[in-house]
Amino acid sequence: MRPAVLGAAALLVAALLLGGCAGVSVPLPAAVQPAADIAVKTGAKAVRASRPISDSEEYYVGRAVGARILARYPLYRNPEVTRYVNEVGLTLARKSSRPHTYRGYHFAVLDTEEPNAFACPGGTILITRGLLKLCDNEDQLAAVLAHEVAHIVHKDGINSISQARWTEVLTTLGSEAARQYGGPAGQLVSLFEDSVEDVFKTIVVNGYSRSAEEKADREAINILRKAGYNPGALAAVLMKMQGKEGAGGIYRTHPPTQERLAKVQALAPATPPTGEELVRAERFKKLEF
Amino acid sequence: MKAGFWRFCGKPALLAAALALLLLAAGPGWARSLTVSRPNQQLYQEPSFASSPLKTVPQGAKVTLIRQEGEWYKVDYQGTVGWLHRQAVPEAAPAKVDLSRLIFGGPVAETKSEEVALAGKGFTPEVEAGYRQKNPGLNYAQMDEIESFGVAPAQLEKFIQEGGLNP
Ligand SMILES: [Zn+2]
Repeated sequence: MRPAVLGAAALLVAALLLGGCAGVSVPLPAAVQPAADIAVKTGAKAVRASRPISDSEEYYVGRAVGARILARYPLYRNPEVTRYVNEVGLTLARKSSRPHTYRGYHFAVLDTEEPNAFACPGGTILITRGLLKLCDNEDQLAAVLAHEVAHIVHKDGINSISQARWTEVLTTLGSEAARQYGGPAGQLVSLFEDSVEDVFKTIVVNGYSRSAEEKADREAINILRKAGYNPGALAAVLMKMQGKEGAGGIYRTHPPTQERLAKVQALAPATPPTGEELVRAERFKKLEF
Repeated sequence: MKAGFWRFCGKPALLAAALALLLLAAGPGWARSLTVSRPNQQLYQEPSFASSPLKTVPQGAKVTLIRQEGEWYKVDYQGTVGWLHRQAVPEAAPAKVDLSRLIFGGPVAETKSEEVALAGKGFTPEVEAGYRQKNPGLNYAQMDEIESFGVAPAQLEKFIQEGGLNP
């Protein structure tokens, strides 16, 4: 944009030096028109054509996915447990490679015996009482939560929205109808609904891909190390999940295959708890879930 | 939108216009001050929450707008240049500046630009409202409750320290 304005100005100066005022209207090149406006216009066009989903849009999709999960599972309302899970979770999130999201990370417990965990895009992580019970100590809980944080970091949930669907959203935004009526036409709401469904299918129904799981494990181990937790706790908790691959819940959403365990073991083998891990295990034991 | 040309007669006016244009081309365009109206906002290195926070911007702080990119504002805050998310200045309407007035010294009018507004649109609170209306069975109330969960920094610090974890 700037070179165009510069060119226009130079032209104008040249015209002045050469001809002076002819007493006619001087058409200023388009670039001279509210330059900011044009900058904004072309910028907006480029944005519309190809921009990725924004952090706030990820947040709204995540909220909808969470609201769908919460319609299915009741919330476990134990203030001590909720606070504890948030303390562990936030200790991890701040050491991840995506420490901040649009509205931050939040952790909550679902009141069900089914072991499972869900990472809603944008940063709300839900863990069931069943999965809390499966963990022996704080470090194992941290391992489970670090893996969920990793899915947020990698945007594995939000990336389940198909490219075709997102392109349609952008096309709708750029359409005359959207421009004229400004507000979200029914079409945008439908596309939002379908996007929520895409994400829900991945994080609740079908589970993540094997490669997303392996990547999340690697990030989880890094997070655990950086936070000061025992990185071997991930292998320890995966070991406890072996042999139940056909079951539902977490065995479906984050399949703990032998292959996965072997890779995790190679990165950070399970080790017996040390002094500080034992201190943390004590505070874990005091909680009721 | 103003007409694409102005009628001039007389070199001074033209020269002034040319000079103003040169200034515009060279400078940051326009300086606009924004007031941060939410507490504890961060200035980021890149227009992304994933980038490193540079500085905390307190509520009420004035920042100078350099440019806008989607939902992010590049701003100067006390000499630190970084990116501030739109949420920090919710009332700041996307502005376009009437250049003719800028050049001729009149008051600079800011009007809401439909184009800019659209650029930031997509999945917005309005879309969420439409979705909720269509799906009344969803549990947004508990989602709101969960989003209110947090841990005060001092409490988190204590938790980390007591657990022998890394600060
Ligand atoms: Zn997973």
